[in-house]
Amino acid sequence: MSSPYGGMLAGLIRHRGVKGCLVVGERDGLIVDSTVQFGVNAQTFAALTASLFRKARRAAQAAGFGDATFVQLEAERGRVCAVGRGDLVLVVVAEPRVNLGLVRVDMLKAAERLS
Amino acid sequence: MKLQVAADWVEAPLKAFVDDARAEIAVLMHPTGQVLGQFGFTRSVDVQTACALGAAIYASAGELGRQMQGRPFGVMHYAGKDKQVFLAPVAITGGTLLLLSVFGEESSLGLVQLYFQDFQRAVAQAAPPWQGAESALASDFEAELNRNLAAMFGRG
Repeated sequence: MSSPYGGMLAGLIRHRGVKGCLVVGERDGLIVDSTVQFGVNAQTFAALTASLFRKARRAAQAAGFGDATFVQLEAERGRVCAVGRGDLVLVVVAEPRVNLGLVRVDMLKAAERLS
Repeated sequence: MKLQVAADWVEAPLKAFVDDARAEIAVLMHPTGQVLGQFGFTRSVDVQTACALGAAIYASAGELGRQMQGRPFGVMHYAGKDKQVFLAPVAITGGTLLLLSVFGEESSLGLVQLYFQDFQRAVAQAAPPWQGAESALASDFEAELNRNLAAMFGRG
């Protein structure tokens, strides 16, 4: 069964260094659609990332900064980026060498199509 | 909130699940409704009620599944406005236990499912072999239930 997010994910995964992208429910942490090319349990990853994004969003609101628009996590061997709209979170997993600026722009554009 | 257990082996897995999944309520029970451990309730009567309802829901869903698809349904999730309920079988040697969990905004179904997998593994390793149907039909069911509740809530 195809989802309305297939084209969006296909565009993001084409970036050099992007290993996976997922649309995840922010409240339930469940995968709506995904394209992943890395060896982890996508459901586990989605649940934890949605939780992280939800908490970042709440932290931003608690600090009086408004809504969190873009969340980035830097780790030793990769990056996790997330943008949210409504109840959905778009997550990208990438290698450190990824062109983050370009991915960020495309993620923010893509997020406008999340609903 | 204090974790209360009727058997020592329940404590570590249940505590880890409650902490990791941010569960507000968690009850491990036999499918008969016998409580083995709980977190979140303060009165034994509430635990008793939750176990009875959880066991009944599991039995009903199991029968519904058998009628509809030839095998019982497994995990059940209900999403309310503020709270969500997760009821799932936990396989142990020779039988099954049930975990009833309630969670709110601090958690999510994905997180609960994730940490439930760890919980399942830990319980499967720690639990003694199930005593079988005799436990479900034992004439001393009520005495056993009261003993477990007393062990947790300190009343005889």
